[in-house]
Amino acid sequence: MAQPPESPGSPAAVPVPERRSPLATHPVMSLLIAVLLIAMIACTLIVPIYARITPRIGDFPFFYFYLLAYMPVVAIALWVVYALQRRLASQDGGRS
Amino acid sequence: MSHVNTTTFTIVVALFVLVTGIGFAASRWRRAQDMMHLDEWGLAGRGFGTFITWFLLGGDLYTAYTFIAVPALVYGSGSIGFYAVSYTIMAYPIAFIFLPRLWSVSRVHNYVTPADFIRGRYGSRGLALSAAVTGILATLPYVALQLVGIQAVLTVMGVGADSTNTYVKDTPLFIAFVVLAVYTYVSGLRAPAAIAFVKDTLIYIFVIVAVFYIPTRLGGWSHIFGVAQTHFNSISPTTKKPVGTFIPTTKKTGSTQLDFATLALGSALALFIYPHIITGTLAAKRRSTIKRNMSLLPAYGVVLGLIALFGYMAVADPVTKANVTKAGNPQLAVPYLFQHMFPSWFVGVAFAGIAIGALVPAAIMSIAAANLFTRNIFTEFFKPDATPHLQTRVAQWASLVVKLGALYFAVELPHTFSINLQLLGGVWILQTLPMLVFGLYTRWFHRWALIPGWLAGMALGTIAAYKTSTPTTSHWASSSDIVFGFTLYIGITAVILNLAIAVVLTPVLRALKVPEGPDETLQHQYTADPEEAPVPAAAGVGVGSTATASPD
Repeated sequence: MAQPPESPGSPAAVPVPERRSPLATHPVMSLLIAVLLIAMIACTLIVPIYARITPRIGDFPFFYFYLLAYMPVVAIALWVVYALQRRLASQDGGRS
Repeated sequence: MSHVNTTTFTIVVALFVLVTGIGFAASRWRRAQDMMHLDEWGLAGRGFGTFITWFLLGGDLYTAYTFIAVPALVYGSGSIGFYAVSYTIMAYPIAFIFLPRLWSVSRVHNYVTPADFIRGRYGSRGLALSAAVTGILATLPYVALQLVGIQAVLTVMGVGADSTNTYVKDTPLFIAFVVLAVYTYVSGLRAPAAIAFVKDTLIYIFVIVAVFYIPTRLGGWSHIFGVAQTHFNSISPTTKKPVGTFIPTTKKTGSTQLDFATLALGSALALFIYPHIITGTLAAKRRSTIKRNMSLLPAYGVVLGLIALFGYMAVADPVTKANVTKAGNPQLAVPYLFQHMFPSWFVGVAFAGIAIGALVPAAIMSIAAANLFTRNIFTEFFKPDATPHLQTRVAQWASLVVKLGALYFAVELPHTFSINLQLLGGVWILQTLPMLVFGLYTRWFHRWALIPGWLAGMALGTIAAYKTSTPTTSHWASSSDIVFGFTLYIGITAVILNLAIAVVLTPVLRALKVPEGPDETLQHQYTADPEEAPVPAAAGVGVGSTATASPD
């Protein structure tokens, strides 16, 4: 196999030939990240949770309210995941 | 040119001229020394930060087709149209997981297209070709649908010569298109990135105004939902079944919860492997740019949810409903709704937003398809020694051809056909999921197992979609099909078959000692975050496999 060139002009890419598994060094934090990501997908994939008209929130049937309100929740949750990953990376002196 | 509102028309034309100017000026934006390189023309120098990427990907993900077709589906069928909201919710966490890996490995190896990565990972030109062909096939009807979006706006505006000849009637569309083609040719990916700022501003303005204003005209949200619920539960005189569903049902077939969930999941998986989205991603400067954007882009999703509700507003407004029924085209629901609800100058702003919302993704899609053709077909199979200059020239011409093809689709074929082709495009692109997304994590799959899987998935998906029918349409009627008595999204069944074949054949091929092919990527490159863009390689595709070719 031809050895691929290390990306030239990027010293940052060189020093980490073997990354430690973040899972091994930070099991709790990694689990939290995984749970957050899976929960985000599951709570919209499992339609019976929200495929109902009642309770109405304001004038909105529950189904429609849920889907609209979910978007900002995803945004915040993904930002939390991103922040957690950054913290992990900075603890290890690595990068996100 | 009958019944054209002068104010609306003037505003649309003025905004169109504005973005045309921006499109051409964009070639000077972040100007590189040598524009005749695919990294420059096709990826705008790989230097976009969080802010620009947000606009670029936002402009890329939410297209004119979204603004027209999602509410049209809601208008026609009810709750099932909201799968679009559910799938954008799912798409971000999914993309958050795999997209940074694709960015990193592509950055290190200078990959321009997803097929470049597949070639490098599996050392297989054939597998890369299958990904490239799928990408181009899936993108073409998508570009065509952007034109359908512009057409919808033009129709409602009353623009178009009074002629039965389609080519004369569609003159305004041609003009818009030629202008788009020329500035994409000149400025490459910089053009849509710059225009996306205008597009998003217009769209945010008209959506927010519409969401607060229209309900006050229609007697409030409770009235809108009430009318919609009654309407979709009523029995259609032609089919003897309910017109639609207001909430996904728990039945086995029809607009069920399972159909809703599989449509959403399949579309979410497909979304970020579309070539044009990957093009937008690879133009980002840093790995963190991608991650940040995954949490910033859902802001756009909120807008999509509100846009979907326009479908119910159109149902609740008797004038709009009468207009749409008379025209016999649900795609006109949103344009008619706006025309009836707003003063003509604001209609102009909204229509311009939709039309410009078509130009941005159409440009990116044609660039992505052109990159695929150039890198993975032309250079790979016909001219391995193509210089960067020649590659860029070929890509520029290919982008024109793609647009011409799309124009042909939009004008010649019936619109339902192009919409169904786009749905089929989703089914097709999903078949590259195993080789692309799974390939980012594991080299377990054998390259010759992935090809039969892909072929079977493509065939099953296409045949199943062809066989779907409704009382009014004999073929290509739906993207869902009944499997074992349950309504499911065809893309999901096809990709399951695809994976099953790859999983079964891999150990067989390995036992037969069929060559695995070289893998030029290394473990740590999938998490790498090089600060500088890689120095463009001289020629050839897939850097590693041609590593012997000395850099210029």
